[in-house]
Amino acid sequence: DPNALPRPVGEQLERARTPHARADPANCSPDNMRMTVNAIPATTALRSRMPLPLGVVVHPMADEAHGRCVPVVQLSSAGIVRCRRCRTYMSPFIQWTDAGRRFKCNVCSMLNEIPVEYFCSLDQNGRRRDAEERPELSQGTVEYVAPADYMVRAPMPPVYFFLIDVSYSAVASGMLATVAATIKSCLDSLPGDERTLVGFITFDSSLHFYNLKSSLTQPQMLVVTELDDPFVPLPDDLLVNLRDSRQVVEALLDALPGNFAGNTVVESAMGPALQAAFMVTSHIGGKLLLFQSSVPSLGVGKVKNRENLSAYGTEREPALRNPDDPFFKRYAAECSRVQITVDVFALCQQYCDLASLAAIPRYTCGELYYYPGFLAQRDGPRLSAELRRNLTRPTAWEAVMRVRCSKGLRISAFHGHFFNRSTDLLALPTCDPDKAFAMEITHEEGMVQPGMAYVQCALLYTNSIGERRIRVHTMAVPVVSELSDLFNATDAGATTCMLAKLSVEKYLSSRLDETRQALHSRLFGALKEFRIMNSSAALRAPNKLIFPETYKYLPVWTLGLMKCAAFRGGAKDVNADERIAVGHYLMGSGVDAVLRLAYPAAYMLHDPAGPWGVQQEDGAVPLPPAVPLTLAALSEAGAYLLDTGRVFVLWVGRAISPQWCMEVFGTDPISLPQDTSGVVVEPGRDAPMSRRLNTLLRALRTGRSLHQQVFVVRQGSGLDAHVLPYFVEDRSPATQSYTDYVVALHKAVMAK
Amino acid sequence: MDFVALEDIDGVRLTWNIWPNSKLEATKCVIPFASVYTPNKRLPSMPVLPYEPIPCKQCSAILNPYARVDFYSKVWICPFCHSRNHFPAHYQGISDTSMPAELYPNYCTIEYTLPKSVAPHPPAYIFLIDTCVSEDELGACKAAIMQAIQTLPEYAYVGLVTFGTHVHVYELGFTECSKCYVFRGSKEYTSQQIVEQLGVRGGAAGRPGQAGAPGQAGPQPGAPQRRFLMPLSECEFTLTTALEELQKDSYPVIATHRPARCTGTAMQVATALLGASVPIGSCAARVLLFVGGPCTEGSGKVVNRELTEEIRSHKDLAKDGAPHYRKAKKFYDGIAAELVAHGHALDIFACALDQVGVAEMKDVVMTTGGLTVQTDTFHNIVFRDSLKRLFSRDGEDGFLGLSSNATFEVIPSRDIKVAGLLGPAARVEKKSPHIADVEVGLGGTTTWKLCSLDSETSLAVLYEITATANREAADGQANSQFFLQFITRYLHWTGELRCRVTTVTRRWMDGSQVGEIITGFDQEAAAVLMGRLATHKMETEEDFDATRWLDRALIRLAQRFGDYRKDDPQSFNLRPELSFYPQFMFHLRRSPFVQVFGNSPDETAYYRMALFRVAVPDAMVMIQPQLTAYHFNGPPEPVLLDVSSILPERVLLLDAYFYVVVFHGTTIAQWRKAEYHLQPEHAAFAQVLAAPQAEAKDIVRRRFPVPKIVDCDHNGSQARFLLVKLNPSSTYTSATPMSAEVINTDDVSLATFTEHLKRLAVQS
Ligand SMILES: [Zn+2]
Ligand SMILES: [Zn+2]
Repeated sequence: DPNALPRPVGEQLERARTPHARADPANCSPDNMRMTVNAIPATTALRSRMPLPLGVVVHPMADEAHGRCVPVVQLSSAGIVRCRRCRTYMSPFIQWTDAGRRFKCNVCSMLNEIPVEYFCSLDQNGRRRDAEERPELSQGTVEYVAPADYMVRAPMPPVYFFLIDVSYSAVASGMLATVAATIKSCLDSLPGDERTLVGFITFDSSLHFYNLKSSLTQPQMLVVTELDDPFVPLPDDLLVNLRDSRQVVEALLDALPGNFAGNTVVESAMGPALQAAFMVTSHIGGKLLLFQSSVPSLGVGKVKNRENLSAYGTEREPALRNPDDPFFKRYAAECSRVQITVDVFALCQQYCDLASLAAIPRYTCGELYYYPGFLAQRDGPRLSAELRRNLTRPTAWEAVMRVRCSKGLRISAFHGHFFNRSTDLLALPTCDPDKAFAMEITHEEGMVQPGMAYVQCALLYTNSIGERRIRVHTMAVPVVSELSDLFNATDAGATTCMLAKLSVEKYLSSRLDETRQALHSRLFGALKEFRIMNSSAALRAPNKLIFPETYKYLPVWTLGLMKCAAFRGGAKDVNADERIAVGHYLMGSGVDAVLRLAYPAAYMLHDPAGPWGVQQEDGAVPLPPAVPLTLAALSEAGAYLLDTGRVFVLWVGRAISPQWCMEVFGTDPISLPQDTSGVVVEPGRDAPMSRRLNTLLRALRTGRSLHQQVFVVRQGSGLDAHVLPYFVEDRSPATQSYTDYVVALHKAVMAK
Repeated sequence: MDFVALEDIDGVRLTWNIWPNSKLEATKCVIPFASVYTPNKRLPSMPVLPYEPIPCKQCSAILNPYARVDFYSKVWICPFCHSRNHFPAHYQGISDTSMPAELYPNYCTIEYTLPKSVAPHPPAYIFLIDTCVSEDELGACKAAIMQAIQTLPEYAYVGLVTFGTHVHVYELGFTECSKCYVFRGSKEYTSQQIVEQLGVRGGAAGRPGQAGAPGQAGPQPGAPQRRFLMPLSECEFTLTTALEELQKDSYPVIATHRPARCTGTAMQVATALLGASVPIGSCAARVLLFVGGPCTEGSGKVVNRELTEEIRSHKDLAKDGAPHYRKAKKFYDGIAAELVAHGHALDIFACALDQVGVAEMKDVVMTTGGLTVQTDTFHNIVFRDSLKRLFSRDGEDGFLGLSSNATFEVIPSRDIKVAGLLGPAARVEKKSPHIADVEVGLGGTTTWKLCSLDSETSLAVLYEITATANREAADGQANSQFFLQFITRYLHWTGELRCRVTTVTRRWMDGSQVGEIITGFDQEAAAVLMGRLATHKMETEEDFDATRWLDRALIRLAQRFGDYRKDDPQSFNLRPELSFYPQFMFHLRRSPFVQVFGNSPDETAYYRMALFRVAVPDAMVMIQPQLTAYHFNGPPEPVLLDVSSILPERVLLLDAYFYVVVFHGTTIAQWRKAEYHLQPEHAAFAQVLAAPQAEAKDIVRRRFPVPKIVDCDHNGSQARFLLVKLNPSSTYTSATPMSAEVINTDDVSLATFTEHLKRLAVQS
């Protein structure tokens, strides 16, 4: 019975998404670290019976995302106290011995002397008497102000360097004007106050540098046309202190659209421009924001159209998802080395080989924003909002991250956007609250000490006011020796997030069908193990698919992942650049965002009943009721909002009420065009439904890295073909329905 | 003969005005047969004819007053090749009472207006500015340029290129903000690359119908032409803003290094830009280089950046110990060829205490007819006023009469061949029956190109007499005359295309008639010619000893044309026609043109460029400065260039060409200090003080580069400017023993010099 299938919809969704309770009250928040299984198998043998990944999703700056303050450790003159051997930081899980003169490292069991300055006597429970005053001894998340020996140089200032395509399409699409205006409007909100540095390069078939020396009355534009061997035309003043040069910077931003108003150049020297920007900023590092409109056509890194349909299904297929030219990876590695993060805003009018371009943000902890066929009139607000968030969000600079875990365990794989500098050190030139990572945990030895195991994540970074900080998240996880404990402790949300990242990793080296198969195999394997474990129950219900309560939503999320744009179908089903953009998104996102994409919410908007879309006194905005993600669940007289985390789709039924239509669109259903690509619902109208819809949109967008644009689709208009893939539960020519998938899973599990 | 009067009519001086009629006798005259001609000399009475000249169909000489004309049959006989030419149809009305102006006997120099083959274009200037100087120097340079720009006509095209570590080409047509294209100073570019990178169309400057050939690089279709060179009226604001905001090169320079200055690359860029922006032959176009130090980066490097390497000296050049010299020279010669091909000129304003590489760049200026000003600082009035004069207009004080795009052609009579040219010009490949076998200077042709010339520009042409001894007997009295015709086609400063034709005639003479021949000897022209020739040989011949060469020539000349008894020095007597020549040589030998070791290669190059450019009277001032005495006892009088000319009650005015000294004798100086000249009863004294000052100002007004005025008193420190030029008669005499041919080596007095000359001349 399809209706009986579990769905993460409505109230169930909240429960489905919610992480498990902390194993120890002193653990860091699950926002910061969330285990796929809240238990560590005591032995390798036990571990091998669980096909789903064991690991942790790390979100080092989740505190900022959730508006929490991180307690700062007051350093004694002894400096930062750490385990001498494994360098683990203090945590609530440290065990004290010798009346507090020594401690036993919770990670490596080493006995360490305590510096006298850090000594404190113990209470009768063996706990230090000052534990409550010392956040590092009582809380799972703390931050240290790093002393000088944690620096290889003076803390860097925030650096924002803008690399802007000004070729014909960049100007004609309105991209340039939108970018310039948005940057200008953000100047007061850039982190770093008087320390912030900014700089600009624009490019088409040549490179344009800007001398922004504070004493100038207007910016000076310096054109370099050598693309084979680009050079920096000035030793200074291309990257300037924003406060000192504010007038010149504003003059530049005002002038930029006019400067190129008549530009007819269609060529784009993106690669050389990247090299030039590197040369200007490499002595400091920082953020490099690339705005690319034309197809990169000149110099190093120029794009070949390699979207070769016949390569799909062959061993040449994964190469299409990797950079074409070694330049991209090499460039990214160089950027990482000098602390540069590259964010790419791809606003291309046509195929632009994002597979190549994406390598740069992938290895530099950067973002990849994709605006196919960008048109400022339509997409300007989204570009503006996303750029604004990028520029104004809290940002950590010149960061490195290390995750340590208890003796007997080790981190075997890292997934996310970073450069792996040494075995366990992740280089993150910058980091921000929108970035999440995943680490797989493996047994190093046959068994782990019973009791608790520990995972500690340390992010060493420079904050925007120029302090070197170390943020430390620590959690304790129970060690278990029963398979059932593992099943019971499985966190399906974190697992789905981990699976998504593993799949992105996989599709870079395998075909899409292999990627989907691998995803399916893990779930199937786990269910098979479960059936074997519960052989008696299985015997009792031989034809029933049994799975652990914790696995309730895993099948539909897995199916959703297989159907998302990153992994769905083949060459013709998803545009190649879109596939890459979604893959990048999955790789960098935390649990919530992944789940949202795997099974988007479909909110019912036509029923005015209830408080949805009306801001309550506590500020909360109740959500409308949601329906299962199947067309069958939609009413012809209804209107629904699909929330994928990347876009909003406003689906309007054939028989929508004229009043609703009038309130939301300002027109009756007959006058509403079939082609709704130009129809907007924002900003709202002075009508109840429109106000509620807009309030809802604002509420849903809060805290998200992407600004979801609303696409209006009329039922049966032809446009709805584009939104069908979001209906995860439905069958499509290339994909199974939810029911079919569950049946297939069942058959496979039952098979001997 | 009054050579100066003749020069005033035609602008021609000849070393010899009577030529021996055989090759053998000619060689005995020692001093070469040469003309020094000023093709753009201002000749107020010269007619300008509104039509085209009539050339001889055979030899292309232009119809002139020396042609024999048969008015009846409308035929003229060319005096050069004796061909019979029919007058063209529109000359059918001429008769002995209705002659065209070019046949008037006193119109030996005449100008024609030619129809233009190229659409006219306003004059074009690229300001090429060194930014590796101090803020203070850059400020002075900018101020002078801004001031100069004020005086430019607003239709003139201007461009701005600056250089330091890199080259910046300003897009003056871009008004949104300051915008320039940057070329890497250390990189070698071809002009083609530069033009492509700038996206300018070759040669047409956006003129419809003259766009480059298909496939030629240019901006993308539909793209507006980038404008680097444009009318001042359209870019004055952009240009002045760019100049105002122009900063010192911002690349850091460590204490042990010179700044990175890419003069050569910058010159290449400016050359390419000008070449691509202005149609060939359409206007006067020049690159004005303002430079304050040596090129240390990229092509044309003069010295390395490390201060441990010293800039080359004459000693280094002599020993081939200047590592960059040849390479740099070759590079600049390449630029020169490109400028010449386009008809564009390069001027150098070198303002630095140290050398900037004028020696290396010299031929760029010389072959394009550019101007050079060399001083110690951009604050120097010599720089400021000279720059101003470059843009002065007709009728204004100091107007230079700059014309452009000239070709200069010499047509001589039979039996005369052209050996070459010494002067600011470039050789043009052209066949002619009058080319001598042995080349001197720019030889192998009878035609040269002058991208730029002013009213002073003077060209020395050397001839070879190829007649055999008995030609007079064979050809009879009718051919006792020979002719030289100078044809200069050029773009006049008014924008008209002109053709100036000067035809001169002189006598052939039996070479054995020594007494007759010498009456045609022009000592000044000869001294100037020997000056140009000696310095040319110093630069082109290995181990050339100029002093020895000049002395030998002088001795041989004295032997041939002096009156004496063999081996009796006391009997030696120079004819009046020759009496000053030894003195000229005495000063030439001491001059910086010949004496290099007291000077830097840049200074030497600078002096020689001036010597190669000016007419005979000015060159004489350079060789032998003029000293004039002002006193109470009558009008000012020229006095001997000798320390004995210094008297307490005299004011001396020394004109040393590059500077002018007003020197007050001790008494005069005291009175001036006591301000007697301000008292009415001492009006005469005031007059004595004022007259030399007025004369000095007058010299400054008419000379380029503007000379420096030194006002000094006897015993003042500035007095050395005068003393260094004076013959040390009363200081010491030298009795240095002499070799057979060389008169002396050290600084000796004129008297001693003359003694030695007499002794050596009479030796058998
Ligand atoms: Zn440890
Ligand atoms: Zn003739």
